[in-house]
Amino acid sequence: MAGMLLSEAEKTFILRGAESNFRVDGRKRLDYRPMELETDVVSHASGSARLRLANTDVLVGVKTEIDTPFPGRPNEGKLEFFVDCSANATPAFEGRGGEELGTEISNSLSRAYQSSYAFDLSTLCILPGQQCWKLYIDILILECGGNLFDAVSLAVKAALHNTRVPLVTAAAMDGAQVELHLSDDPFESKRLDVSGVPCLVTLCKIGDHCLVDPTAEEEVCSTASIVLAVSENAFITSVFKAGVGSFLPQTLHETFKEGQEIGIELNEALKAALEREEKEREDNEKSPAIQRYGFLK
Amino acid sequence: MLTTKTFLKKTKRGNILKIVREHYLREDIWCGSALCDKCPMSEPVLSENPESASELFSFPHYIVLDTCVVVHQIDVLEEKTLCNVIIPQTVIEEVKHQSSTIYKRLKDIIGNPGRNFYVFVNEHHMKTYIERQRGETANDRNDRAIRKTVAWYQSHLASSQSGINKSERVQILLLTNDGKNKELAAKEGLCVASVREYIQSLVGCPGLQDKLAVTEPERDGNAREYLFPPHLPPSLIHDGIKSGKLLQGTFYASRENFLEGHVNVEGQEKMILLQGHAGLNRAVDGDSVAIELLPEDQWSSPSDIVLQDEEDDPGDILDDRTEALSASRAASSERIPTGRVVGIIRRKWRQYCGILQPSPVKDTVRHIFVPAERKIPKIRIETRQSEVLASQRIIVAIDSWPRHSRYPSGHFVRALGPIGDKDTENEVLLLEHDVPHSQFSEAVNACLPKLPWIITDDDVAERQDLRHIDVCSVDPPGCTDIDDALHCRFLDNGHVEVGVHIADVSHFIRPGTALDKEAALRATTVYLVDKRIDMVPELLSSNLCSLRGNEERFAFSCVWEMTREARIVATRFHKSIIRSRAALTYEQAQLRIDDPAQKDAIATSLRELNRLAKILKRRRIENGALVLASPEIRFQVDSETHDPIEVEAKKLRETNSMVEEFMLLANISVAEKIVEEFPECAMLRRHPEPPVANFEPLVKAGHKLGFNIVTSTGKELAASLDEAVLPDNPYFNTMLRILATRCMMQAVYFTSGMLQPDEFFHYGLACPIYTHFTSPIRRYADIIVHRLLAVCIGADSTYSDLLDKRKSHALCHNLNYRNRMAQYAGRASVALHTHLFFRGKVQDEEGYVLFVRKNALQILIPKYGLEGTLYVVPKKGEVATANFVYNEEEQTQKCGDVTFRSFDPVTVQLSLDRSNLQHEKLVLKLVKPVIPGFSVPSSDEPIPMAIDEQDGGKCKDGSVVDTVSQKNKSSPSKKKRKK
Repeated sequence: MAGMLLSEAEKTFILRGAESNFRVDGRKRLDYRPMELETDVVSHASGSARLRLANTDVLVGVKTEIDTPFPGRPNEGKLEFFVDCSANATPAFEGRGGEELGTEISNSLSRAYQSSYAFDLSTLCILPGQQCWKLYIDILILECGGNLFDAVSLAVKAALHNTRVPLVTAAAMDGAQVELHLSDDPFESKRLDVSGVPCLVTLCKIGDHCLVDPTAEEEVCSTASIVLAVSENAFITSVFKAGVGSFLPQTLHETFKEGQEIGIELNEALKAALEREEKEREDNEKSPAIQRYGFLK
Repeated sequence: MLTTKTFLKKTKRGNILKIVREHYLREDIWCGSALCDKCPMSEPVLSENPESASELFSFPHYIVLDTCVVVHQIDVLEEKTLCNVIIPQTVIEEVKHQSSTIYKRLKDIIGNPGRNFYVFVNEHHMKTYIERQRGETANDRNDRAIRKTVAWYQSHLASSQSGINKSERVQILLLTNDGKNKELAAKEGLCVASVREYIQSLVGCPGLQDKLAVTEPERDGNAREYLFPPHLPPSLIHDGIKSGKLLQGTFYASRENFLEGHVNVEGQEKMILLQGHAGLNRAVDGDSVAIELLPEDQWSSPSDIVLQDEEDDPGDILDDRTEALSASRAASSERIPTGRVVGIIRRKWRQYCGILQPSPVKDTVRHIFVPAERKIPKIRIETRQSEVLASQRIIVAIDSWPRHSRYPSGHFVRALGPIGDKDTENEVLLLEHDVPHSQFSEAVNACLPKLPWIITDDDVAERQDLRHIDVCSVDPPGCTDIDDALHCRFLDNGHVEVGVHIADVSHFIRPGTALDKEAALRATTVYLVDKRIDMVPELLSSNLCSLRGNEERFAFSCVWEMTREARIVATRFHKSIIRSRAALTYEQAQLRIDDPAQKDAIATSLRELNRLAKILKRRRIENGALVLASPEIRFQVDSETHDPIEVEAKKLRETNSMVEEFMLLANISVAEKIVEEFPECAMLRRHPEPPVANFEPLVKAGHKLGFNIVTSTGKELAASLDEAVLPDNPYFNTMLRILATRCMMQAVYFTSGMLQPDEFFHYGLACPIYTHFTSPIRRYADIIVHRLLAVCIGADSTYSDLLDKRKSHALCHNLNYRNRMAQYAGRASVALHTHLFFRGKVQDEEGYVLFVRKNALQILIPKYGLEGTLYVVPKKGEVATANFVYNEEEQTQKCGDVTFRSFDPVTVQLSLDRSNLQHEKLVLKLVKPVIPGFSVPSSDEPIPMAIDEQDGGKCKDGSVVDTVSQKNKSSPSKKKRKK
């Protein structure tokens, strides 16, 4: 991250650590830091999630709105990502300081979700050519502790998993206007299928080695990094390189392979976590005290 | 404790929002019972020992009501028998949502301290609040909340009564009509009964059972059912019209029956009938709609009843009053093509003037707006300033009409002023008739000539100088826009020269200027009773163009040389300068003619003109011109307050007819001239012959009294109208002529190039060609004709728009529209002044039955030219005092031995119903013939009207009017509420 100043000795220490597969915080090259995830933290949103990855803190809210589909894609809904880099995270984000980073993250997400394997937009269609759901995915970065891409993508996937789209029981044309009939029961809603949704895996090149989940300090030492969008079923839906450095074809190939494997693991871990949380909630519903941590923890 | 409520809401724009509201739960909501020793209340509402009158539940008890009990059995609740009742807040909210009238009645009961009704705010009580569960409908949840309340009360009061004998303890009894709710309550160990069981078990009040509502419609889970069938999407409508499956036309709502309307399909002679809510399917008057014809066995005929949507907001329910509609279906002979609206092609929504309907619920933001125009449905609006607006005329715009709503929804635009105020009402009728009435703009005023205006030598050179000729004008009294003048002089060859001089308005209004555009938009001057909305600025209309006496003015003259037998020998048109010797009124002119002592040039020429006019008129009538009648009246207006003082029918003198004849002659001569020169683009006026079907009511009416009205040609019609005279009913002939007028089509302007020459015919005047030339100050068509004629005689140059028949056609369209609206506005103004006139008066007047309807008689009162409805069938909720039998075939209403037929003379009592301050209505009541129990005794002397404006109409509600207002149920005034 910009603004972080490291001495030459510190940099060398990190570099050597990466070489010997023993990082500053004791992790191996392909180890993630522990994460905390909670969904449904914002009651006003249709779906939300908060993810804390060591010092990185991300809050994602999903809002549903009705929109008209693009003329060229009458059967598809819309997704829109917006990243707000809170000035709480770092003073550099104050004013318009976080805008560039925000755009970079939202662009990378929309690219990762563009593939039809990633997210089936047709489930958001209400009436072909007339009305569809538009999901506003608002991402708030509360703290920067490195590895924003991965953290954001995980939180987004969790929030989408948590999203309840209002159930439209009937849609009919009335003249040129669309009449929608909403389900009266607030418990009745549509869930989104997130099984194909990719997670972003950042592989950070330090020296000749790639490592995942870099801390802010490690990011400063890295010359280049590869960001892969990997879905649960091993599809890589987008790839891009960040930073000024370069990759040799050979390393690149290996990096892909490593990233793909990690991505699959990451997706599975997330899925398991979400399922566990949901089950706990269901169990809790029967007992009166609903445990929710929110922002108090 | 804090909890949240989450629900989905659809916004106006069709978006769906998730809304989360904070909901606070408290422990300090008291139970309201005097028994309780835990709740520290100062004034408990529920009494300590509620006695039970029920055999079934002999122990003392409080009653808890279910929502559907309140909604359906409000009549029972209003009886004083049921006391000590707990109304959970859940119920109050549901009732408010379902029906505002019942909510108001419930609130009134709760406000009565003698009834011991207690509202328990269960939704905010820690112990009784429940959350909706998965899979539970809103109704189930509310029922559960009510049961929870019952259970809570039961246990809450039990602990306070532990010292009392078990059988004497106060219990809680739930009354519900919902079978499922009852079953569940019983299962939970609560005391529960249906209303019927409970009421039947009451000792000593047998009358109450009668008040039980018999059928209780099942409460359906989804209240927002669709009321209307959907409209087709535009593409399907387009295909349907192309393939001929659907028809396209303009929808006209019926003024008399809000569930009926017609669609005028181009190329079809007969209008297509639409009936019922589903048939009209949210079409609003003027909309361009797509309709589907129903199969012939479902055709119907227009119903004979007068139906107004007078109810308070009944919620989103439609009742089609099918009995009223189906009855008319029986008469198969009169069935006409019937259809239903399947789609709207283009909405013609504008802004509507009207008033707010008084809402039974205070402090609500949702209101019903009642448009002044009866053809427009009521509109739902939301406003927070209803108290201010309640006494104002307001303007509202429609936004949409969703399928689940009985009324369209709209929004408040602006307020016009207090109701009943004359200026406000004038504004309303101008707006309602789309009359442009704003001040003339700067750009328009800049086009006016500078004062002092003088005649230059150039002008004299261009024009014929007729200043030496004795010209005079004859107009109604008080006329300031004099646009025509006449002269007549004897020629040496024994012929006479007759000149019609018309104000040369086209000299001042040059084509293409702002002034010209404004005049073209306004199209006509609109005459209201107390106001004139000028087409051109006053400087022109009342000064420079007005042919005032003894002033030199420019004129466009049409001069004939004719024989003493009024045969035209030669016709000349030229621009001229004249000096009118005198601006006479019809009366003055008549006096001059009749006074043989007057021998000056004006008097002699008037006499000669009058003689010639009589010849012309006779010749015209022989040709088959119609003499029609329409009741016209004049108000004498108080000079200061402009309030009407006296009403009189317009008198017609010979001089009226004299001026008319020469104007007709000038118009015809000009029409011939311009169409000869411009066969493609002359602006003419035609009056199409009405289709035979139009005459049906006239022929029928005549037939019943033994007259054969022949309508095949105008001439025969005129003749048969002349013959139809009843010696004992002198007004009969006039009424027939009024009916005949109503059969006529509207006369319209058109461009000669758009029609075949044989279609130019003017039916009413029985002449093959006609135009308007003689009133350019107040009609734009005349200005165009002036320009055309000026080009013909080389006095002016032409311009492209004048000769473009398409543009000219579009102009005609606007002229016709504005003319029609001006006419309506004029009539509305007369109606308004009639209302003002009748404020605080009750008067008996002679009238005649014009039509017999199924539930009413249409009465014409010649003195005021007024038509009113005398209802013979009582309104909803009133008891019939006399039984009228309607005979559809003979078109009679019979009550006892009195029979009403069309044209029968009656005496009616006229009064203004001001009980509903927002909407004054003229009320007609029968005086003669006397029908016991129905007719009213004649009011002796009309109460004189105070002309002093200070207290306007406010304190003039004499006692007689009061009795009127009692009979007509109005909305209840605000009653005192519980503090």
